[in-house]
Amino acid sequence: MSSQPMLEMRGITKRFPGVIANQDVSFDVSAGEVHTLLGENGAGKSTLMKILFGLYQPDEGEVIWQGAPTTITSPSEAIDAGIGMVHQHFMLVPTLTVAENVALGLASGRRPLTDLGAVSDRIREISEQHGLAVDPSVEVWRLSVGERQRVEIMKALYRDARLLVLDEPTAVLTPQEVDDLFVILRRMTSEGRGLIFISHKLHEVMALSDRITVLRNGRVTGQTVPAESSREQLAEMMVGRAVKLTPDRPDVTRGAARLKVNQLSVQGDRGTLAVENVSFDVFGGEILGIAGVSGNGQREIAEAVAGLRSPVSGSQILFDDENVANLNTKQRRARGLAYVPEERMKDGAVGDFSVSENLILVDHGTDAFTSSSGLFKFDAIKRHCSELVERFAVKTPTIDTQTSNLSGGNIQKVIMARELTAEPTVLIASQPTRGVDIGSAEYIHSQLIAQRARGTATLLISEDLDEVLGLSDRIAVMFDGQIIAIVDADDATREGIGLLMAGVVEPTG
Amino acid sequence: MRDFFTVSILVATIASGIRLATPYLLAGLGETIGQRSGVLNLGVDGVMQLSAFFSYWAVLETDNLWLGMVIGLVVGLVMGVIYAVVTVVLKAQQGISGIGIFLFGLGFSDLMFRRQVGTPKPANQLPEIPIPLLSDIPWVGEALFEHSVVTYAAFATVPLLAWMLRSTTFGMNIRAVGENPQAADSLGVSVAWNRTFAILIGNGMAGLAGAALVLELGIFQPNLTNGLGFIAVALVYFGAWRPVGIMSGALLYGLVAAVVLQWKAQGIIPRGASDIAAMAPAVLTILALIILAGRVQAPAALTRPFSRH
Amino acid sequence: MTSNRHLLRLLALLFSFGLIAAACGDSTDDTSADAGETAESDADSDSEDADAGGDTLTMAIVAPSASDDLAFTQSMIESIEALDRDIDLQVTDGTFVVDDAAAAIRGYAEDGVEVIVAHGTQFGGPLTEIAPEFPETTFIWGTSSDTQGLENVFAYYPAADQGGYVNGVLAAAISESGKIGVVGPVEAGDAVAYINGFAQGAMDSGDVEVAITYTGSFSDVALMAEAAQAHLSNDVDVLTGSSQAVVGAVGVASENGVPWFGTQANQVPLDGELVVASQVYHWEVVLVEMLDLRDSGTLGGQAFEITLENGGLEIEFNDGYELPEGAREAADAAIAGIIDGSVDTGA
Repeated sequence: MSSQPMLEMRGITKRFPGVIANQDVSFDVSAGEVHTLLGENGAGKSTLMKILFGLYQPDEGEVIWQGAPTTITSPSEAIDAGIGMVHQHFMLVPTLTVAENVALGLASGRRPLTDLGAVSDRIREISEQHGLAVDPSVEVWRLSVGERQRVEIMKALYRDARLLVLDEPTAVLTPQEVDDLFVILRRMTSEGRGLIFISHKLHEVMALSDRITVLRNGRVTGQTVPAESSREQLAEMMVGRAVKLTPDRPDVTRGAARLKVNQLSVQGDRGTLAVENVSFDVFGGEILGIAGVSGNGQREIAEAVAGLRSPVSGSQILFDDENVANLNTKQRRARGLAYVPEERMKDGAVGDFSVSENLILVDHGTDAFTSSSGLFKFDAIKRHCSELVERFAVKTPTIDTQTSNLSGGNIQKVIMARELTAEPTVLIASQPTRGVDIGSAEYIHSQLIAQRARGTATLLISEDLDEVLGLSDRIAVMFDGQIIAIVDADDATREGIGLLMAGVVEPTG
Repeated sequence: MRDFFTVSILVATIASGIRLATPYLLAGLGETIGQRSGVLNLGVDGVMQLSAFFSYWAVLETDNLWLGMVIGLVVGLVMGVIYAVVTVVLKAQQGISGIGIFLFGLGFSDLMFRRQVGTPKPANQLPEIPIPLLSDIPWVGEALFEHSVVTYAAFATVPLLAWMLRSTTFGMNIRAVGENPQAADSLGVSVAWNRTFAILIGNGMAGLAGAALVLELGIFQPNLTNGLGFIAVALVYFGAWRPVGIMSGALLYGLVAAVVLQWKAQGIIPRGASDIAAMAPAVLTILALIILAGRVQAPAALTRPFSRH
Repeated sequence: MTSNRHLLRLLALLFSFGLIAAACGDSTDDTSADAGETAESDADSDSEDADAGGDTLTMAIVAPSASDDLAFTQSMIESIEALDRDIDLQVTDGTFVVDDAAAAIRGYAEDGVEVIVAHGTQFGGPLTEIAPEFPETTFIWGTSSDTQGLENVFAYYPAADQGGYVNGVLAAAISESGKIGVVGPVEAGDAVAYINGFAQGAMDSGDVEVAITYTGSFSDVALMAEAAQAHLSNDVDVLTGSSQAVVGAVGVASENGVPWFGTQANQVPLDGELVVASQVYHWEVVLVEMLDLRDSGTLGGQAFEITLENGGLEIEFNDGYELPEGAREAADAAIAGIIDGSVDTGA
């Protein structure tokens, strides 16, 4: 590490109306270093990065790049200065080839024509140099997620970025792909490039970082190095209190199979089979976790069981031994279904509705809330909703607050409250803590564990492998529309599940 | 039917089909460029009507056909600037903005026609310019190489635009901002400028299409386009956003219409089936292009305004 | 947020501009406001022969195409202008959407306009609802050969076959190839009557072939032009056609030096050399009868036909076109024959 940091952000303060997004944040990166920026959603990480890329100007503080105070006013200035970014949502044009994506925005040597031949040659050179295998002539839509990420890194390297920001780069990768990525990143730091790693996956942060800076509510709450820290300590710095990362899973006697899925095949949005011939049982008092890289059929399974997507004929879905495959969602709910959907603002709650309206969204027509004359019983609704808000610790000013004004974690709690009051027999929880703060996630996990104790059969679908490993009794791994293995949680390892997620059926050893 | 398969009739029918196809082709090609950049313009028909009127008026007053075409182009470009301001700068919803442009074009061209011309008066028509040598080829020459300069230009534009989209930096930028404007922006490619240029190309070509229509006829009438611009927008979808696809669609549409007219003239189509036969061009073109185009996806950012935050 | 406000303002501006333009385009309103500017709608008391005495009659016309279309709508407006009466006329034209027309008709009725002309067969549906609500108002509706049983509706229609027959006789006399081409819109209404009469007249007076194309559209000018082109490729050397969309076909005739026959209005302005003759509608003949009936207390309930006999139809010849010998005489004979009933137009 050289004495002079390559980037220094000093005393950065950025205010928005009513919010201080960054307050006196200081942060620096040296050549050859991976400096992690850790924090929950809304902690101020993305504001800080937007300032670095010139999308915002700081109210106070300065950016010092390569030793000189610098004002960056647009992303292209940042690129020209040698700062690159790999966005969480890839900034690639799927219908363009790899070479075209790399060449985009660069001056061509053959104006007004593109010069893809020269670009492709240079891409191959960089590929070799950095172990980044990408074929420049392929259209990006044909590439896997991992390959696309290599294209993103290629774009930065092609522009000779000295500093690279990686925003949640592992969110969509299998554990093996994460390992490969880390090798590439290490090679880049060894060349003297600096990396800013943004992530909330604590074990990855521990594995990759040289230094870690934690943000909470716009302020730096700590700076540390992995050797002097632990996941629990990092979580505490993020949340501001002690957090239980792995929930306790008390012993529960397993009941009968309450959800049976036999030979389920489901069409995806493109008309091809997204789920093919899948069978599994979920027992009362059990959480069956489904692990897999997104897009391997998990969403379609959840929607098919919830009655939102018709399965191919011949498929069987049984709740307590009754075939519900031909019943609609309402009829399935009458038989004990509860569903916490993946896209909570699209399928789970109505953003424009108040908290109380969302809480009674499913059973507002029942006698409990509607009188015989067809009018709402407002007193009963208010009593019910106030109780739920309290019981599920929903942070909301009033029960009449518009739901879209709540944080992701609190919206999820509203949905959980609604779904769990019905005392379900079958619970589908899809990505229950995605985009949710650690505190809320901890609470949601405890509620899932409580359902397990009640004897509910829970199907947990999550891309967060830690969540699946921590909560499940058994883990089913999906690959390419099929369940390629169901393993007991006690026998499961991250590595084993990771190989299965990549479609490797027979792990060695 | 025997009368139809004579050389002179076939040649006349093909020539007629090409004439009919020309305005569809010009308008459809222009709309393709706009849509590839992510901007839907439902106002094509209105732009065509405006440019048709001003082009006609100019020719009526000056007898100068070149001026008429230039005016058509300029009116298209002016409408393009307005549309770019509304959709790119102000980021308005594109569908409704296009309908606004259409209504404006329909109403304003009608108003101007009544105020400035009143009764339909014939103006100069575009002359057919036989291409030397090529037009001497027996049969083929007469069918393909005895057309107006706008028709030649329209067909010459097809490979030009295909090449531009595929091989130039500008074309690549157009494709990028139409598919993933965030990505283009993150690399310093200006979404606003590229979309604006694409809109200008599209509206300029719609303006030329209006001029081509009216100068081929030599007369203007309110609502002259009769929905032509909307069919051109549909051709873009069915032509799978590719210049050659648009050309196939426009040609098919024009040729089927010409064959139907020829068969009606020869009594091959019984008069009772006349109205049903009138639908044939639209139905056949849509069917053919659906089958040929397959499952082509629209530009992913089509109709979506771009903003950074 | 500010950009949103600007956007709304601009959109509103653009829209109102477009709508105003559309509205202006649609209607040339109240002649008293517009006096002198649009001669077509100027049929009020200013005319020198306003000697009918008594009160000014308020009239309105709702028509589907432009008031100066050299065809259907223009024929009615000119007829009302030609009436020897003190009339305050309001015009709503260009209402090719029936619902818009219905709204305009109802609006005039509510304003107390005494006589409302609904100039389009397609307005018959709305009239069955509107007319009974305003029993004091006279509605004049056409073209239609019956009043749908409504007591305050007069209907009018042209015996378009008669002028068609005469034009056909002339066309047969001119044609050298023996092939005559006809372009029409949709096979309905007086377009069919004209075209059938034309074909009958041509075939009665010589060994000629008449090829008829209905394009399927009242307004597709380009298609009508190509329909005429298709006829020319089949050696047709005389053309005629009906509907507002014929202007394109007349252009084709001009370009190729082919004689053209017009109907509904005198089409000489489209081509001073090649328009041979036009069948012209003089609705005033029957309008006078209707208004007289209204004066005497009969508000409607009768249908009127304009014919060669009652002078409602007239063949206007173009002096700029030199007819072959005997053609004019044959035409005059046909007119006389139709009037005295010795000639059957096939209608």
